Amino acid sequence: MKLNLLRLAILGSILLFWEAVAASGLLFRDVVPSLLKIASALGHLGVNADFYHNLSATAGEVGISLAIGGSIGVVAGLLLGGSRLLGKSFEPYIHYLGPTPKIIFFPVMIMWFGIGPGSKIAMGAISCFFPVALITAAGMRQIDQVLIRVGRSFRASTWQMVTKIYFPAMRHPMLNGLRLGFGVSVIGVLLAETKLSNRGLGFLVMQSYSQFDMPGMYALLLVVFALAILVNAIISRLGGLAVSEI
Amino acid sequence: MNANVEVLRVENIVKRFVTARETVTAVHHVSFTVAQGEVLAIIGPSGCGKSTLFNVIGGLVKGDEGSVAVEGRTMSGPDPAIGMVFQEESTFPWRTVADNVAFPLELAGLAKKERIERVHHYLQLVGLKGFERHHPAQLSGGMRQRVAIARTLAFAPKVLLMDEPFAALDEQTRLLLGDKVLQIQQELAQTTLLITHSIAEAVQLSDRVLVMTYRPGRVKSIVDIKLPRPRTAEIIGSKEFGQYVAEIWNDLRDEASLGMKDAEAHLPKAD
Amino acid sequence: MTTRPLAEAKWLPATLGLGGIAVALLLAELAIRMEWLSRFIVPLPSDVLMSFERIILEEDVLSRFLATAGEALAAALLVSFVGVALGALLHGNRLLRRACESWVAGLAAAPLVLLYPLFLVIFGRNALTIVMIGFVSGLPPAILKTVEGLSGTRKVLLDVGRSFSLSPSQLFWKIRFPSALPVIFVGVRLGLMFSLINIVGVEFLINFGGLGQLVNELAERYDLAAMYAAICFVILVSICFFIASEKLERWLVS
Repeated sequence: MKLNLLRLAILGSILLFWEAVAASGLLFRDVVPSLLKIASALGHLGVNADFYHNLSATAGEVGISLAIGGSIGVVAGLLLGGSRLLGKSFEPYIHYLGPTPKIIFFPVMIMWFGIGPGSKIAMGAISCFFPVALITAAGMRQIDQVLIRVGRSFRASTWQMVTKIYFPAMRHPMLNGLRLGFGVSVIGVLLAETKLSNRGLGFLVMQSYSQFDMPGMYALLLVVFALAILVNAIISRLGGLAVSEI
Repeated sequence: MNANVEVLRVENIVKRFVTARETVTAVHHVSFTVAQGEVLAIIGPSGCGKSTLFNVIGGLVKGDEGSVAVEGRTMSGPDPAIGMVFQEESTFPWRTVADNVAFPLELAGLAKKERIERVHHYLQLVGLKGFERHHPAQLSGGMRQRVAIARTLAFAPKVLLMDEPFAALDEQTRLLLGDKVLQIQQELAQTTLLITHSIAEAVQLSDRVLVMTYRPGRVKSIVDIKLPRPRTAEIIGSKEFGQYVAEIWNDLRDEASLGMKDAEAHLPKAD
Repeated sequence: MTTRPLAEAKWLPATLGLGGIAVALLLAELAIRMEWLSRFIVPLPSDVLMSFERIILEEDVLSRFLATAGEALAAALLVSFVGVALGALLHGNRLLRRACESWVAGLAAAPLVLLYPLFLVIFGRNALTIVMIGFVSGLPPAILKTVEGLSGTRKVLLDVGRSFSLSPSQLFWKIRFPSALPVIFVGVRLGLMFSLINIVGVEFLINFGGLGQLVNELAERYDLAAMYAAICFVILVSICFFIASEKLERWLVS
């Protein structure tokens, strides 16, 4: 009760402050637009077919990039985590390439996959490959060795080992990998869209920038952030449910 | 028990470990047999290669020499004839109790109906009826180990091979679970090989106790335990029980102190 | 079983790793020379190697590196001070923490770098925009880890402090803060990594500043070999930064 009051109070004072700045005209015109304008821009987005068209374009690119980059990442992670030699030989490269700015590969991706959705999907896939591969490899090594011995003592086949022991034992790190992979692939796809494209949410953001439609830009950014946070929370929730089931 | 029908024959097992600096012989020419329905306990000081022997007999690790045969058939790798129960926590946390026990049956491709029947039977046997839908995390350590035992028994192995199955439990649970295992073993006439470091446990549960030497692990002596069967936990209070414990400790003491000296010699010393 | 002693040998993984990369590069070189791959899409690895000299000498890489490093340093200072201060504030006030911690965690999940067009309008197309993007994107992990570190102080240490009747501020500075320092540093390091990634990224996107801009310019000039070389250079710089921060963390924690 007290908590929610405090939250309301914090939110309220931020909004009030915002509105006061907007009304005072201290800052450059429309850099801080009135809340009413932002709200009406949000409402406008909600009924705009064009917005949904671009939203689905971005969602599709993110989904495909997650499927491609994620599955390659899982396979690479299984190999790296399953073989000490492979892990020691190649994992350092992935570990150190992980935290590098992937967006600078965009010009290369444009040359390889064109200026259409292909290069955006490639950006998303490259971005999510690294965290997924690293987390899968680490998860594989963290599997309790005795569980693997149990499987072998019952003469489980390789396929049975993977589906009945490795994957279920690694479900938490894999969900976490999916969550992180989603986060970075959204960034990869959206940034690529802001650089060069004619559709997608990133494109819409740049369009509102070039038209100096600040309320529109705020509305778009709010929607993008809210969606990203929502999906992240859903995936975390999936992991949380799996924990409490035990 | 029919002492004449030999089920498990372990012959001349040798296992060495090669490190950069030296070659350590963990198990050195160990041979023994276990008869139908018999319980053989293997006891030895820490570092005598008990767990290595467990892994070699179970087929998880290849021995350098020697062979393991069940009912005359030589084993190569893990085999359904030998069921292993591990020392560590080994239930699958993501499966319910019933699904844990059903695991080997699933691998073998049994029909669902038969799986359910067998799971039901073995859970009843280990006294976990009513816990089918629980997850391991909701059970006590002793109950989890019973799940692991039921999972191994569900496969109806010829030989039950257990590596210090009570090691992770507290003293009282250990006694109660030992009693339970004794009861199950007698009910099924289950041929059993029990690896342990507890003399009392070995005497309580087994028909013969094999004492191993400290590194390299060899057979030092085999003691026949002529306590009456069927046994219950009350046996621990008897005079004969105490005599057997003393006899085995007599054999074991020198080996254990060798192990202790060795461990002390390897500690870093202050200058 | 047989691979185990092999994997113990130090030279083998290193050889396999480097060898694998070398073989991949040689195959690419071969494929391009045989014209299985167009050299207008993938330049010859040997050309890329030769271009390193060119971009270092002609493209003024040093000053670009310094520009990026300067932006990163400014963002780093902002992230460290503001992040740790906000974290301490959240930790100090239970109610505030319960009200806001999940918000900060939510922000950590949002693609904050997408704010750059907004920052372009507010701050203009200059270094301030880049620094602010670095700052904003690095802030959430620094705050979250500071809160986590400060709350993780072992109770017995605080009791020791109380037994010496330390004042609340002494308790914070002499016990809570030092014991939380390793975790706080993990957060600051994470934040700095996000900052650096986004700083170079935004340099590339808005074609302003240091190393990121170099890649963009070479791409626009369609100087393929030099562009690949510049990308490799940026990757190398990021890796050096990453390794250095890892070493620093290990040194601080031990």
